[in-house]
Amino acid sequence: MTLEVDPAAIRHDYVARVSRRYGVIAAVFGLLCLSFLLDITTGPGGYSLSTIAEVLVDPMSHGARLKVIVWDYRLPVAVTAVLVGALLAVAGAQMQTILNNPLAEPFTLGVSAAASFGASLAIVLGFSVIPAVGPLLVTVNVFALCTCGFILLATRLKGVRSETMILFGIAIFFTFSALLALMQYMASEDQIARIVFWMMGSLSRASWEKIGLGTILLCFAIPFSLYRTWPMTALRMGEATAQSMGVDVGRLRVEMLICISLLAATAVSFVGTVGFVGLVGPHIARMLVGEDQRYFVPLSAMVGALVLSLTSLTSKTITPGIIYPIGIITSLIGVPIFISIILSSRRERLQ
Amino acid sequence: MTLTIANLSAGYGRTTVLQDVTVTDIPPGAFVGLIGPNAAGKSTLFKTIAGLITPSQGTLTIAGEDVTHLGRKDRAKRVAYMPQAYGCNALLSVFESVLLALKQTTGWRVNDDNLDRVSDTLHALGLSHLANRGVADLSGGQAQMVAVAQTIVRAPDVILLDEPTSALDLHHQLSILTSIRNEMDRKKPLVMAALHDLNLAAKFCDRLVLLREGAILADGKPEHILALPQIEETYRVLTDLERTQRNVLYVDARLA
Repeated sequence: MTLEVDPAAIRHDYVARVSRRYGVIAAVFGLLCLSFLLDITTGPGGYSLSTIAEVLVDPMSHGARLKVIVWDYRLPVAVTAVLVGALLAVAGAQMQTILNNPLAEPFTLGVSAAASFGASLAIVLGFSVIPAVGPLLVTVNVFALCTCGFILLATRLKGVRSETMILFGIAIFFTFSALLALMQYMASEDQIARIVFWMMGSLSRASWEKIGLGTILLCFAIPFSLYRTWPMTALRMGEATAQSMGVDVGRLRVEMLICISLLAATAVSFVGTVGFVGLVGPHIARMLVGEDQRYFVPLSAMVGALVLSLTSLTSKTITPGIIYPIGIITSLIGVPIFISIILSSRRERLQ
Repeated sequence: MTLTIANLSAGYGRTTVLQDVTVTDIPPGAFVGLIGPNAAGKSTLFKTIAGLITPSQGTLTIAGEDVTHLGRKDRAKRVAYMPQAYGCNALLSVFESVLLALKQTTGWRVNDDNLDRVSDTLHALGLSHLANRGVADLSGGQAQMVAVAQTIVRAPDVILLDEPTSALDLHHQLSILTSIRNEMDRKKPLVMAALHDLNLAAKFCDRLVLLREGAILADGKPEHILALPQIEETYRVLTDLERTQRNVLYVDARLA
């Protein structure tokens, strides 16, 4: 305890670090805007940036054909990529925090398996929970939310411990995987193809209605997360410490679990099971700004949005004229980047 | 802010750990040492005072006000509890970890007063040089000091420290307890600490409470308590062990 530092100096260090964080967030936001613009301008047709910009400002400036291409196809896809990336990354950040496990992601508790089963049910049997709204979207959502119900029920019976939640998640995952396999066994070749394609994930299912719904959800989830920022940050100090600081850990986990399930279920019903974004987004954000949730959650959302936006861009540009399923691209391109980040990150990253 | 514990019984599920515990009139600025063997109920008593366990009977009063059924957050404003568990892998700096402890009971926005309080607390405990260090990179002793800082920064009426010196060498044990005493002189909170080292308890505490098998065996000034025959009886297992260790050392010395 010989190295004494002036209290004003450590205060100043903290304030400086906070402003650096705003800098990082602004930089990532800049990259996101750039990637979004590139995503809109890239695609078959080879229209110039200025043409696209003019159509964005005045839809009919270059005729009905370009209006349809930009407004009904490219823009919804680009916005959906950003939106779904943000939804999954926020859900992932919350899941990693409440389970106190860096390997957690939005689908850890079996949401994706349940959603895939819901999709297969809708495809094979034409089954629909609410027939008027169309079979796939609602059915997938309902099944994804069912897992949340199971986990909540389990926590009522056994207490809200992270091990209990993970074990129930694994049980749910295997149950729905088995049911999915059963559906595939019963399905025709054409139906199997549709199920597999659905599970690979695709941004081409984008629509303005879905975008509206997703935006509303995100506008609820991020402020809610920020509202709970201090208890959530405390949870990272360990369950016992958080409790001793007055945090009702059980209640916080249940609240967050409901939020995560809504986010993950919505994302899955929009584009299929796009894994990985929910894992990598929070990881990159954590390495950049640490785990103060005031910066961690918004940056996770932005990194997730950036990753999926870049994926959307890549899926169009690898082979001109062919759009690869994003589920494949996120993993193939994301994993090497992710591993290189892990290998290059050092302990002093907080400095 | 006097603390009174009256006829308190508490436990986990159907197991009762504390039986009819009464400790009256602990005045503000007092340093009470809670001593007793492992599994005597020290942590359970702290958790009950901190509101993490609901007592099956009895009352807790702070400054004459019954806080037995006060909600968790309101309780945390008045009682700060440092649990035994420490060490974590969070990517947070020491400064941030102390700030977050303070922010649990103050408003959402971080203001100048919050930053001043965190930097003052770190300075007072001699932790200023660690302010920018990550909490995951601390040694066991440093982590324990940070946990104490997280407790003190909230400036509560009652501070409960569950074995604050267990991971520390003698020098740091003395320095942490001295820092706590200095803090107490400034802000006059009431401190209860579970201690295993009776010498330290005698040196720093104004009052000792001896707990065994969930019941209070003795309560009074350190010089009286440590002279009681019950002390030797309570800690006999320990002295037996010490004797054995001494024999082992003796044999080792002869072999060498």
